[in-house]
Amino acid sequence: MFGSMMRELRCGCVAAGLLAALPMIAAGQWRAKDTEWASYAADLAGTRYRALDQINAANFNDLEIAWRFKTDNFGNRPEYKLEGTPLMVNGVLYATAGSRRAAIAVDAVTGELLWVHGEHEGARGGAAPRQLSGRGLAYWSDGKEERILYVTPGYQLICLDAKTGVRVAAFGNKGAIDLKQNDDQEILPDLTTGEIGIQSAPVVAKNTIIIGAAFREGMTPKSMRNNKGYVRGFDVRTGKRLWIFHTVPKKGEFGYDTWLNGSAEYTGNTGVWSQITVDEELGLVYLPVESPTNDFYGGHRAGNNLFGETLVCVDLKTGERKWHFQLVHHPLWDMDISSAPILADITVDGKAVKAVALPTKQGFLYVFDRVTGKPVWPVEENQVEVGTVPGEWYSPTQPIPSKPPAYSRNGVSESDLIDFTPELRERGKAIASKYHLGPVFTPPTESKVDGPLGTLTVGTASGGTNWPGGSYDPEAHTVYAFACTACAEPIGLVRAPKAVSDMNYIAGTAGEEVTILRGPGENAGADSPMPPKKRSAGGGYVALNVDGLPLLKPPYGTISAINLDKGEIVWQIAHGETPDVVRNHAALKGMNIPRTGQETYNIGTLVTKTLVIAGDGQITTTSEHPRGAMLRAYDKKSGKEVGAVYMPAPQSGSPMTYMVNGKQYIVVAVSGGAYSGEYIAFSLPAAE
Amino acid sequence: MRIRDCWLPRRGAALLRPYAICFLVVMVAKAQEGASTSRSVWDGVYTEEQAKRGEEMYRKECASCHGDTLVGGGGAASLTGGTFLSNWNGLTVGDLFDRIRKTMPQGSLGKLTKQQDADVLSYLLSFNKFPVGKTELQKQVEFLREIRFEATKPGAK
Repeated sequence: MFGSMMRELRCGCVAAGLLAALPMIAAGQWRAKDTEWASYAADLAGTRYRALDQINAANFNDLEIAWRFKTDNFGNRPEYKLEGTPLMVNGVLYATAGSRRAAIAVDAVTGELLWVHGEHEGARGGAAPRQLSGRGLAYWSDGKEERILYVTPGYQLICLDAKTGVRVAAFGNKGAIDLKQNDDQEILPDLTTGEIGIQSAPVVAKNTIIIGAAFREGMTPKSMRNNKGYVRGFDVRTGKRLWIFHTVPKKGEFGYDTWLNGSAEYTGNTGVWSQITVDEELGLVYLPVESPTNDFYGGHRAGNNLFGETLVCVDLKTGERKWHFQLVHHPLWDMDISSAPILADITVDGKAVKAVALPTKQGFLYVFDRVTGKPVWPVEENQVEVGTVPGEWYSPTQPIPSKPPAYSRNGVSESDLIDFTPELRERGKAIASKYHLGPVFTPPTESKVDGPLGTLTVGTASGGTNWPGGSYDPEAHTVYAFACTACAEPIGLVRAPKAVSDMNYIAGTAGEEVTILRGPGENAGADSPMPPKKRSAGGGYVALNVDGLPLLKPPYGTISAINLDKGEIVWQIAHGETPDVVRNHAALKGMNIPRTGQETYNIGTLVTKTLVIAGDGQITTTSEHPRGAMLRAYDKKSGKEVGAVYMPAPQSGSPMTYMVNGKQYIVVAVSGGAYSGEYIAFSLPAAE
Repeated sequence: MRIRDCWLPRRGAALLRPYAICFLVVMVAKAQEGASTSRSVWDGVYTEEQAKRGEEMYRKECASCHGDTLVGGGGAASLTGGTFLSNWNGLTVGDLFDRIRKTMPQGSLGKLTKQQDADVLSYLLSFNKFPVGKTELQKQVEFLREIRFEATKPGAK
């Protein structure tokens, strides 16, 4: 059904070389070396941590580019949104790349391309909800065979021989599994155009591959009915489906009664699009589940809506639910659980706890006993504002953790507005006056021409910590997480014309034509021929900035270090150079403004033995560096910046590190603006 | 010249001199590059009429991803405010035009003519409060590369 392409460039001699350095085998089970990076987040615990220290505070500024890998030609157009984190095993770096979402293998020392594999999916790829290069792939080995697994934009799971890039014939159907089939639901309207896909990297634990699902952006769905984002486990040797977890329960299953009026039957989405975490020892899988259909309006899905925005723990062998904790009842704010859960063995009040910690868009770090699901510190049900949108169903309470304190702004009041000068503050207040303001869990409003236009939120759709998630230092028992603290999101609802959607309300602004919003990467991949829809002009929109300055006051973006033994924020710093528009703004001339950080939501952190490393998310030009973005290193104990190296474009995928032949490398994906996707590898100079 | 060799470290005074010289060379080279580019987005490089046409086209072809207020949506690039200005500050209008031509609209690449793309670009300039002028933004990328994209008004620093 699908054409395929494979380019075997130079695998013979490399494969021979690799055989001499096969990975460690312990009791028949392959284990990555601690100098390797064998899964998306370094390990299955979601830590993004490697205890390497060759690159440290004393020499970070000496880093130079070891190699760079441009991804323009892996697809029929360049990509400007390269979000991948590569893997590195046995001296070979594996990654996804380009608008084709090709899988590539490159020499980890030189950057030389070893093989590339791409799938031409035609109309199916063109209709995919999540296109472009995705976030990465998975590696598996039993000590003999080595396999690479990734999911195409068209939602096929592909199994490749890691040595050659050739499909493994014994897996699934000649090396592929059609994920739109055997999913306990019929993907509608058909296998070609049926909305479901995923952009995250698969996870392989023991011999089970775990795959979630993603959909279009959910602010303006065409229908209350959609496909559902179940999670499945597959045998890594055969591709056989081992289990499925229904993220929207079927009739008779636990949680079905949290969907009133039979709404579980037709409500969709509720996928797991972020990274999945596994405790292999306990045999437990941690699923961060996203929002149900319509991010901001739940009038067609009365009830708490399990397992929407719920952390679900399932059995690795069976997929059976062990425990769950719903972070948001009846989700209305697009607080998808966007980050990989982080496994942390901590000590609280002298007692050892096997914990799971969860950074979130709403800036709470939720910490649970990962065996029982019980919160490590009390999570209280708090009364929250009940809204007035016709037909909406509201949960009167929402759970709010007592510890750690919120590490990112998650509500908007006047005190959060721009305050560089009294004049700017007044102008900020004038903009904010058009909206309903309030703390976390202030509900969306119906958008009205005379106001409010909506609820002005932060810590919702694009706030706090998004898909890159956090990092964890298992020695200091500390989570490090970037957060966008100024990503303001107006949430207004408008009645949906029947021609646009069968829902009563979708996101929009009063006085404007109601339209369906698409997400980045949707209809942008190499197979997409879709003509865009039409709309006409209108007025009444409000720009959420004051002369280019962010509406909310600094910091715009932060990195926080949160100790999990104590549940306390150890340090918090503004991350990212002060944007040019702030630094050079006429209204701020002569003012001494401390570093503001940057309004961006896609910054992932890397933790090493001594450093926290993350790049800027925006381009700046300063007296200290030419136009570009800096990859920064912070002392992980204090948060003090100890070094920075130049990158030609912002960090767009989270950095990773590894060591080969006694040399440590840091690889990071950069792209954005005029700069197309590129992986850059840094290392220390060979000679002083 | 490799820019990476020219990054001026914050620490290590002993290292400053060679890096500083290198940095200076780059800056001089950049200044020379810029010398041929006499106009900037602050010089009134589009007309009101063109921006109106561009707005109509934006609403039809761009707003579904980049949003009604140009702030982007669910991660689609912001076309206003700090992120947008940072992305393009120091480049030229031609670079932005080229990016639009190469990748937009999503899903129907090549659908818009050069003229329509220039119109959309003029709307982006208008929305971002760059001053209106008396002549239209041209549709030849070579000419657009002569217009510097500067986030802040010259002389306002």
